[in-house]
Amino acid sequence: MTATGAPASEGAAPPTGTGPLSTGSAQGDASGTAARRGRRKLTPYWLLLPAGLWLALFFVAPFFYQASTSVQSGSLEDGFRVTWDFTNYSDALAMYGPHFLRSFLYAATATVLCLLIGYPLAYLIAFRAGRWRGLLLVMVIAPFFTSFLIRTLAWKTILSDAGPVVGVLKSLHVLDVTSQLGLTGDDRLLATPLAVVCGLTYNFLPFMILPLYSSLERIDLSLHEAARDLYATPATVFRKVTFPLSLPGVVAGTLLTFIPASGDYINAQLLGSPNTQMVGNAIQKQFLNVLDYPAAAAMSFILMAIILIAVSVYMRKAGTEELV
Amino acid sequence: MTITLSGVSKVFGDFTAVHPLDLTIPEGSFFALLGASGCGKTTTLRMIAGLEEPTGGTVLLGEEDITALPPHKRPVNTVFQNYALFPHLDVAENVAFGLRRRGITSVRKQVEEMLELVELGPLAGRKPRQLSGGQQQRVALARALINRPRVLLLDEPLGALDLKLRRQMQLELKRIQTEVGITFVHVTHDQEEAMTMADTVAVMNAGRVEQLGAPDELYERPRSTFVANFLGTSNLIEAEITEAGGEELVLKATGTDSVLRLPAERCAAPDPQTGGKLLVGVRPEKISLTHAEDDDGEGAGTQANGTGARRGAVNGANGEGNGGADNRLTGRIRDAGYLGVSMQYVVDSPVCPEFSVYEQNVERDARLTPGADVVLRWRPAHTFALDATQDADAGTVEEAL
Repeated sequence: MTATGAPASEGAAPPTGTGPLSTGSAQGDASGTAARRGRRKLTPYWLLLPAGLWLALFFVAPFFYQASTSVQSGSLEDGFRVTWDFTNYSDALAMYGPHFLRSFLYAATATVLCLLIGYPLAYLIAFRAGRWRGLLLVMVIAPFFTSFLIRTLAWKTILSDAGPVVGVLKSLHVLDVTSQLGLTGDDRLLATPLAVVCGLTYNFLPFMILPLYSSLERIDLSLHEAARDLYATPATVFRKVTFPLSLPGVVAGTLLTFIPASGDYINAQLLGSPNTQMVGNAIQKQFLNVLDYPAAAAMSFILMAIILIAVSVYMRKAGTEELV
Repeated sequence: MTITLSGVSKVFGDFTAVHPLDLTIPEGSFFALLGASGCGKTTTLRMIAGLEEPTGGTVLLGEEDITALPPHKRPVNTVFQNYALFPHLDVAENVAFGLRRRGITSVRKQVEEMLELVELGPLAGRKPRQLSGGQQQRVALARALINRPRVLLLDEPLGALDLKLRRQMQLELKRIQTEVGITFVHVTHDQEEAMTMADTVAVMNAGRVEQLGAPDELYERPRSTFVANFLGTSNLIEAEITEAGGEELVLKATGTDSVLRLPAERCAAPDPQTGGKLLVGVRPEKISLTHAEDDDGEGAGTQANGTGARRGAVNGANGEGNGGADNRLTGRIRDAGYLGVSMQYVVDSPVCPEFSVYEQNVERDARLTPGADVVLRWRPAHTFALDATQDADAGTVEEAL
């Protein structure tokens, strides 16, 4: 306790003690104040409680449950037991290495595409849109009014073999070029890597645009003027002022795009082929079709570990703490 | 370098921010554009910087027409109102920004010297958000000055600082301007700041320059009611001319028999004629206040009380004749305020309901309290006259509210 020289008889002092000041004639008063102060100190924790409970129930508990599953062995008939069998991990990597690779490749490509498409749009909305700003933002979010699945199914129609997109691209010989690059094949778009990347890009684009917009929108326009006043050409203003100041948005946007995209399986399932399956598809298959839970859990953990490492390296490189 | 604005105007939609404006800012001067917010002073500055394109007219820098030049091609730099320091760069890099953009790579020595000039050497590695307002202000100044611009533009640079710091920075800016010797164009709404720092002040009102001149000239001889009221305080009395044509104008305050005199050259109205109306003005600190009991009638410079005697002595010391009698009014003190260095009185007078008088706080007459009858005197040489067709309240605080 706080009071070092306090006699033992005062042991009934208030728990969150206000120290030696609370002793004396006004003992009752003081303990009342102390209790109130104690309650006030606890308020933030009470506010944290719902979120904490939610996390404990739906993240921490499943996390440990899956962690233990990932080191089980056995079969569906005989039941699974924890045997600390790490071969689940090595087997998963050996069998599904290409899936992991594809996942990160597709997700990274989609993230870069999202950035390339999203940045100019976010810039336009933040600086040039004027009174159209609100409308444009609503349009960015508008796809969310339709379910993820339906939107992806719509892409199936758009990219279908008899569809107009394939027709136009074929007549322009674009498909020849992309098939040379290994992105498409057999004069089709559907069931190719390109289709999967397109789907991922489309579905995650708003997650890129919104953080970019919010970081660009916060930039004081007088900084642009100051840079121009200090001999910066418009291109240099962007390179030296606007872009560095939008980095927090770039980091947030790329993370919000890359992380869910690398775990996604809907796009690969609906728009891809067996040759374009991502790790999400493999996990889904193990969980729901093969019912090899330990293998599925092990794959989930490998995916999570890789993402965690990649993200922490990326965050350190981007140096976000240094930014405003 | 001399800046010449000829016929420069700026229109935003259906609002004319700046009416066609002719202005010459001489090389090496500390030039202030003074006016209330919305008077077009900042727009004028931004047109010189190139951040705003004039609707009409030309901007010359020396002999060169820079009207169509984008800001990054103008040898002009700006200290912005909110400083606009780059938050992602440290102090040294903020200061080096302009040099780097012009392809100068070895900036270290120059940056050090510049930070020395604004006394920020030890803070070179800090980020702007780690600095106080005054320090940020100096970084903004250093960032502009390091480029050795032909002209430095300052947009309300001290507006965000507290009073004490502002006073200090005023002197500092003046020192730096003398040291580097380049033309400063300073935009401010603070008349005291403009008068302290600038050697030429242009008073702007509603997109036009009301009057341009040295601070003392503007203060002593305002040419419009706006200038008379915006720069300090003026007592304006409506009066009718009874004698014109000579070296002295003689007037009679409207509705009374009080005679007011002033030298004809101190009249801003064109061609004053007998029978015409003028607004006669006098600054509050030029007036001497005497208790009515001590007043000896029309005599000048012979007052019995201390204040009067002092003033008489000053007149004598100046060695210039009064050109006859002092201007004299009677009234009753309505309000007296103690300001430390001076006393501020508001006097009810038949000719002017709220006559302001400042008296040096030297020997206070204890009888000069609210309700006391007093006599106000001032010399004709301290009197000015304005065209009576203007709004007598233009430029006052009441009008601004």
